[in-house]
Amino acid sequence: MADRIASEEATNGRRNGLPEEFFEEWRDVAYNCFSSGHKFCREVCPVMQVTRDERHTPTAFHANVVAMEKGHLSLEDVAEDYVHCTMCGACELRCPNTLFTGDFYRFRQRTIDVVKAVRAAAVEKGIHQKNWKRWAELTDRWGNEPVLGWTRETSGSKVRAWATGLDIPTGGGTVLFADCEAAFNRPSVPRAVALLLRAGGVEFGLMDQQWCCGGPMWETGYVEIAHKMAEHNMLDWRKTGTKRIICPDPHDYITIIENYPLLDSNFDEFEIVLAVDLIAELIREGKLELTTPVQRTVTYHDPCRLNKRMGVWQSPREILRAIPGLTFIDVDHVTQWSYCSGAGSNLWVEKPELTAEISRRRVTKAKELEGVDALVSACPWSERPLTEQGDAQGLEVFDIFELVAEAAGFEV
Amino acid sequence: MLGFRLSAEKPPEAERVNDVVVSRFEHVYEIDPALMTEHVRQQDIPNWDFRRIVDSRWEHLAWMHDHFADSILSGEELLAEIEKED
Amino acid sequence: MAIALLDSVIDDLAAICGPDHVFSGRSAVFNRARVPAPFPAHRWEDHVPSAVVLPTSAQQVSEVVKLANEHRIPVVPRAGGTGLTDGAVPLRHGILVDVKLMNQILELDHANRTVTVGPGINMLKLNEELRKHGYIYPDNPASYPCSLVGGRIGTSGWSLIGARYGHTRDLVISFEIVLPTGEIIRVGDGGGPKVRKSSSGYQLKHLFMGHQGTLGIVTEATLELVPRPEAEFSMFFSYQDYMDAWRATGDLARSGVATLAGVVLFDEWKIKYLRRDDEAYIPQPDSVKGVVACACYGNADEVRVGAKRLLRIGKASGGGYMGDEISQGDWASRHDRYATPQHGRTRDGQVALMSWHCEDASIPYPELPVVREKWHAIAQSLCDRSDMFDDWGMFAYTNGAYKPWGDYLAEVDIGIWEMKWDDESWAAWVDAKRELARVSIEHGGSISACHGSCREGEVDLVPVELGGGFEVMKTIKRSLDPNNIMNPGKYLLDQAYEEE
Repeated sequence: MADRIASEEATNGRRNGLPEEFFEEWRDVAYNCFSSGHKFCREVCPVMQVTRDERHTPTAFHANVVAMEKGHLSLEDVAEDYVHCTMCGACELRCPNTLFTGDFYRFRQRTIDVVKAVRAAAVEKGIHQKNWKRWAELTDRWGNEPVLGWTRETSGSKVRAWATGLDIPTGGGTVLFADCEAAFNRPSVPRAVALLLRAGGVEFGLMDQQWCCGGPMWETGYVEIAHKMAEHNMLDWRKTGTKRIICPDPHDYITIIENYPLLDSNFDEFEIVLAVDLIAELIREGKLELTTPVQRTVTYHDPCRLNKRMGVWQSPREILRAIPGLTFIDVDHVTQWSYCSGAGSNLWVEKPELTAEISRRRVTKAKELEGVDALVSACPWSERPLTEQGDAQGLEVFDIFELVAEAAGFEV
Repeated sequence: MLGFRLSAEKPPEAERVNDVVVSRFEHVYEIDPALMTEHVRQQDIPNWDFRRIVDSRWEHLAWMHDHFADSILSGEELLAEIEKED
Repeated sequence: MAIALLDSVIDDLAAICGPDHVFSGRSAVFNRARVPAPFPAHRWEDHVPSAVVLPTSAQQVSEVVKLANEHRIPVVPRAGGTGLTDGAVPLRHGILVDVKLMNQILELDHANRTVTVGPGINMLKLNEELRKHGYIYPDNPASYPCSLVGGRIGTSGWSLIGARYGHTRDLVISFEIVLPTGEIIRVGDGGGPKVRKSSSGYQLKHLFMGHQGTLGIVTEATLELVPRPEAEFSMFFSYQDYMDAWRATGDLARSGVATLAGVVLFDEWKIKYLRRDDEAYIPQPDSVKGVVACACYGNADEVRVGAKRLLRIGKASGGGYMGDEISQGDWASRHDRYATPQHGRTRDGQVALMSWHCEDASIPYPELPVVREKWHAIAQSLCDRSDMFDDWGMFAYTNGAYKPWGDYLAEVDIGIWEMKWDDESWAAWVDAKRELARVSIEHGGSISACHGSCREGEVDLVPVELGGGFEVMKTIKRSLDPNNIMNPGKYLLDQAYEEE
């Protein structure tokens, strides 16, 4: 079987459907994992905690690349396996090849990049995941992701409907990039951020036509659509001389800082800011006063793209500790390397039952903490499945900005 | 500066530590890049990502201590006590 | 290529385990062929199973094993697949029984101080739960965050803190196992599942400890619950001479400190290797030729007193205390310490991504210095032969359970540039591996302290090491596994069937 595939592809210079450049780029990092084989990643992986299936391990994601180069496996054999990943980053951080020596060698595990590359190669070869394909087509058509379902359009003009009544200008030096999931599905979040920034003395506008940041397109392998989104957004920023972009959603932030500079040689003119860092600073400097007590006992969910992917875990805790009346039961950010909501990289679009189980476990962990009546996250994507599971288990789920807005006396 | 600016993420110049090790950040060692040219190439790691790895390592080690025991005794403190006693 | 199973067999497996837990696709089998030990990647296809099952009960495991007997299909048990002796690597394809779904905590018995778990559970994850109750399960190998309880029994694992708390065979009180013919039995010390010491009947638990999956499949285990330590103390001392470090190791091990959990000796080659990329060792002066580390765990008052005694011994031994940052940081890194491939270097100092061979002999204390010389000579001859080998130095760790004196787990680490394998280099490697094992036997030791000795090269000397014991081993194998289906080909046990 392997011989047949290898010889079929050998005639047009592509091994198992993959160009030589693919192996040139990923051989080292794939082999780095394959040769170590130690699997310290496995128990922190939210997918592996549920499925226990080695096909879904970061180990397999790398071993498959080695196996494909050797002609043992084809893209068709493995494409569906690569769906099983939220790109939380636990594996590549926890891996000793990163954690103990990644800085010394300037060479770390890059499981997320490997998964992205294989997903993109599959799409290029015409191997699609049914729901991801539909999601990508609609994002391309509407400019924003179909977060309201397959039939309710989420266009660039509708994406600022959450701001009705707030009189926010268009464009300007600083722009608030209100992620499409939050804008359409949890408008309280961008409303909270807008009100808090204004109260803190920050001037900002909204984009004329905000499109999806492109993140899920890069993540699910629809790279051309991602580029289109990114180029549109940067054009929109430049139209009104925008220099600073504030991101309440960690997915947008990390997508922009990791991908946009590769598309634009003048990217240095932009400063990208995490709303959670900015609001923590406003509170710290006394520019934003929190005077309304919030009488709740909460615990905090470290969103993966903040904590594991970017090492941002202090700002949200600083914010929570500044909210009067709030009892905050913390679970440290290293323990949370193995936590996840299961929503990342649109896993819930293709494998909803897997995301639901990952979220169910996360909510259960929160409920086990004595006295806790709410789980607070700082990522709207995580809040979708967490809220669903929270409803099922009788635990409220908030976005951090909703609570801060309440403490600042705002209703969202 | 609070946010991300591309030019601020470029690694600083390296200073030599010994014939195989250099350093760009205080208390952090790196391999001499000349030793990663033939068989495996270095990656582009922006400063924020580099910092994340270094900080995470210390945080992980602290977590490991705490995972195994409630407290850690200091050898330096105990040696100081021994000095006084002997 | 994998021997395909009959469709009817796949159907039967699906009927037993459920169709969602039976896999025969290529990615399922190619991703369950190796363990972290150097793998003949150029012969990957030789080691894939034919099909994989993920059972969720002992009953399912039993039925799968009975089916395998009926059709004479090999069965290969797989827990974490993190072992270092190829125990979980299929040699004859067959049905791979992957126990990872059996990872629940089944019972916590505070009165008897036991926890009962499935074989697919990892010790670190278990301890995150046990911590809530003030307990710890202190089975702490270098694979602590990823190895699974089933594999710990399969290998009779070693723990970094075994000199204080015992090793896997001491910490596992009893377990349920499916025999090669499908019967489900419970083994322990005697019959009561929570009895720690018995003289009733043959003490069968010890027979199965370290069986490498050749005598059955563990489906449940009852484990010790130890009080969570109030305090930890670790100290690192450096020496100008390996022999001084070796003597200091002996002094510390014989100190009589009850909370002493382990002593680790680093040789000159290991220091040289650590200078490549370890922040603790890069700044050490060239004069440092040996390091000794040790740690204590227990009640705070006892640890304090023990620590001072050990520090005094360290000072008297002529060593230099390496400071708290290294003593604490380096010790904390030892709970999860497999090698990273970037440690590899070619002769001209270039980084090459290498896989890691970890020898793990049991060597009596007096023999450590000479074994070190002989092993490094063997490693050097490999390095002279080819740039694809690299000597990463030696450790020696206290090996006795509940006692720091006696023999040591002697480890020599050899980097191997796996992607350069061909049949010739593999053969040279196997020869060297055999010579390493021969040295261990010649010096009154054992080929393996804890991984097992199933691998090509070393396995040839198992009959030499065990002597008459090997005949007994074959007799037992043949009685329990008449059809030779349970992980066949391991430990030369095919020889058990040759007389027939």
